[in-house]
Amino acid sequence: MMQKPWFKTFIWIISTAFFFFASAIIISYLSPEPSEQQIMKFMSGMMDAMHGSLMGLSMSLEHDTELKALIDTAAAVTIPLVLLGFLFGLFMKLRRKKDVK
Amino acid sequence: MKVKFDFVIHWLWTIVFSLLALSGLAMVGAKYGWILQYELAKADYTHRVLAAVFVILTFISIGYEVYRALKSDEKKLTWFIIGKGGYQLFTLITTLIFIITGAIIWVCMDTNMAAVSFALYIHEKLTYVVVASVIWHIYQKCHALVWPAKKQETKEPRIMKKLADAE
Repeated sequence: MMQKPWFKTFIWIISTAFFFFASAIIISYLSPEPSEQQIMKFMSGMMDAMHGSLMGLSMSLEHDTELKALIDTAAAVTIPLVLLGFLFGLFMKLRRKKDVK
Repeated sequence: MKVKFDFVIHWLWTIVFSLLALSGLAMVGAKYGWILQYELAKADYTHRVLAAVFVILTFISIGYEVYRALKSDEKKLTWFIIGKGGYQLFTLITTLIFIITGAIIWVCMDTNMAAVSFALYIHEKLTYVVVASVIWHIYQKCHALVWPAKKQETKEPRIMKKLADAE
């Protein structure tokens, strides 16, 4: 595997990436204090990340009754479906065993 | 083609770790956001999902090491990410610190900011140490980067050629 050209290329890419990370750390660490624009971009990025997180989703969910009802229905359907799937799997396994005998 | 378990885990873990490092570095602070063009929502999502994969791969590896220890298997797994000594032990310790501090950041985010700050500090500084150590690891294993030499194709066996030359 190690001698295959595509794998060599992959190793080169991964190795180079780590040199890029080290350079990025050094550049960022030694760079002057961030400008106001950079800080604003970072803050808005973090806000976007928060909206996408579980906390942000649950916050938006609090005001959405339709979505809340949909999730309740989905949760109610999921458990019987899982049980049915389990029983069907068990049934198939037992039937196969019978066929072998 | 036979591919070994430790080889697969090594490279899967490498891919996951490199993507975690990339997404994590972009979130360190305002000075670091340029790494991913301040796309922090995507970085955060990637970091969370891959962290779960990272934890699963690490636990599979630890489980395999424990299984080997129970079976008294002393065979050295050259590609394995964790082990009893050297860089493998270093990886085991740093990985566990990453997982513990990551879990503290994740769990205590809404409750204990002091714990989150401390865990974030350790998580960040450890990343710098580990990235430097990976570069050292690449340097040590740089023979893996050497491209295989092309085989010279000969139509007739060498001995026949020598005989022909002698005549």
